[in-house]
Formats: sequence, structure tokens, C-alpha cells
Amino acid sequence: MELLAIVWTFFKIGVVSFGGGWSIVGLIKTEVVPRWINESGFSSLIAIAQATPGPVALNAATMIGWQRQGILGAVLATFSVVTFPVIAIAGAGLLAKRLKVDQRALQESLRTGTLAMMAMTLWVLLPKGNLDPILIGLGVASFALAAFTKINPLWSILGAGLVNAALRAIIG
Amino acid sequence: MVPVIGSALEKKGWVGETDFLDLFATAQSFPGPLAFTTALIAGRKLCGAKGAAAAGLGVLLPPFGAIVLVGALIGRLGQLAPVQDFLAGAGATVPGLVAAMIWKMARSRKWTALRAVATIAVAVALSLLPGLTIPVFFGAIALLYFAERKWSS
Repeated sequence: MELLAIVWTFFKIGVVSFGGGWSIVGLIKTEVVPRWINESGFSSLIAIAQATPGPVALNAATMIGWQRQGILGAVLATFSVVTFPVIAIAGAGLLAKRLKVDQRALQESLRTGTLAMMAMTLWVLLPKGNLDPILIGLGVASFALAAFTKINPLWSILGAGLVNAALRAIIG
Repeated sequence: MVPVIGSALEKKGWVGETDFLDLFATAQSFPGPLAFTTALIAGRKLCGAKGAAAAGLGVLLPPFGAIVLVGALIGRLGQLAPVQDFLAGAGATVPGLVAAMIWKMARSRKWTALRAVATIAVAVALSLLPGLTIPVFFGAIALLYFAERKWSS
């Protein structure tokens, strides 16, 4: 049953969702493409998830659940992503009394792990095969704007969408 | 979103700035979207389990509504060529944005030889073994935890 598969998949994704949310976008992609959504559909979905208020990974889960199984799928996918984090936070109070954790070492290891997950995300998201020069240009421009200016990435996402739609309309 | 939570809690007089920074640091040691885990921990600090449930749901609901709305809209209009081109253009920015986040994280990271080698090794392992993300990630965290305790202080 697809609903159960959605619950299990997003529960697993939630387990490694350290460091915000962007770090697990690569994992979400390897789990859902091509099973539930195709390659280009996934990129658009992530752009929408980022442009809509709320954490990107959570929004992506909600949207994939919604597209596959309607409102029930959306609710279950959303709750599945946060199930493990809720258990972890609830359980940590009990564990912390028993064993002493070196917070600095833990945070540094998580930072290294998160950065590695981001690198994996980038690797998984890089376009492969039929490279479109306009889309590549928009990707490079959005990198430059996000890395070297303080412009909110929201404007890159919406701007790139408009530029692409306009150019295709002109070129035909 | 996290700074918004911080200033909102301060305005209400619920959590002061230093307490919030502590709380945010705790949230970072847990899995889950930061806005969500921060809300959960702040809610628990204020009102126990009930507070955590209220804060967690409060932070999940508005994005949920927004996504369902946008999803329904795209379901209606998604077949139109200009909308498809818009979505393709928006999607093209995603790798660029991720690369920029990596760039910023890498620049502000306090690099040591251990961290540099480990970051590259773990990234390669994760990319080569897409089906084994969970064991690779936690195995790496466990090893790194001991390495960090032993070699850097």
C-alpha cells in the first residue's frame, strides 16, 4: 500500500534530518525519484517547497504526500518526517541523566556529517544528461546571488521561473 | 525562521536571548527541521509536554496549509506551457542554492585536518551508497565523535 510506503520512507528520512533540512533533500530525491515523481518534477517541487513558508524538507514531504495520496498522504508524510525527531527529543531527557555526552564533540561531528550530507545533496541534484543552456545559466546565476549577495533566495527562484517562461515564450 | 522564533519569544517575555541561544544549540543536536525542533524544545520549556505539542503543531500548520494551497493551484494550472516553463526555471536554481549554502558553511567552518578529510570521505561514501544513508551517516557520526574527543580540544 502506497500510504504505508510514504509513512515508512519519510520516517526514515526524518531519522537523519540533522542540520536543518536542506541536508536531506538529496536523500529525499534518492528515495522518491523515480518511484513517485520524475527528475524535473522533483526539482520544481523543491523550488516550490523553498519558496513556500516553512522548512524545505517538511514542505517537500507534504507536497509529495499531497501529489500521491491527497490530503491524507500530505498529513501522514508531514507527521512521518517529524516522528523520529519528536521521539528523540522526548527520549533525550531520560538518556542524558544516564550517560554524559561531550556536547562540543557531538556538535562538531554533526557539523561534519551535515556538510557531507549537503555535498551528497548537491551531487544528487546536479543536472545530468540533456543539459539546457538557459537552465544551467539560471542555476549558476542563483549560486552567485546566494553566495555573494544578501538577496533572499526567494527572488532567485521566482525570477528564474519568470525569466525561463519569458525566454521560452519569445524563442517559441 | 529561527530568528523570528527567538524575537517572538523575547517579545512575549517567555524566553530571554541567552536562554534562547542555549535552547537553539540543544535543538541543533537533534534531527528534524530546526524551526520545528526549536519550537518543540521552547514549548516544552514553557509548558511541558502540552507546550511542546502546541508549539510543534503551531509551527507545522501554516506551511502545511500553504503547501496544500500551492499544490492544488499547480494541480490545476500545471499542464499549461508557461507554468511548466516557470517551474523548470525555478527548479534550475535548486542546485545553485545548495552549492551556495555549502560555500557559506565551508567558509564559516573551523577547519581541522580531521574535519576536512572526514567531510570529503563521508560525502563520497554517502554519494556512492545511496541506499545506506542511515548506517553510513550514524557510523560516521559515532567515529567522528570519538575522534573529536581524542584529537581536538
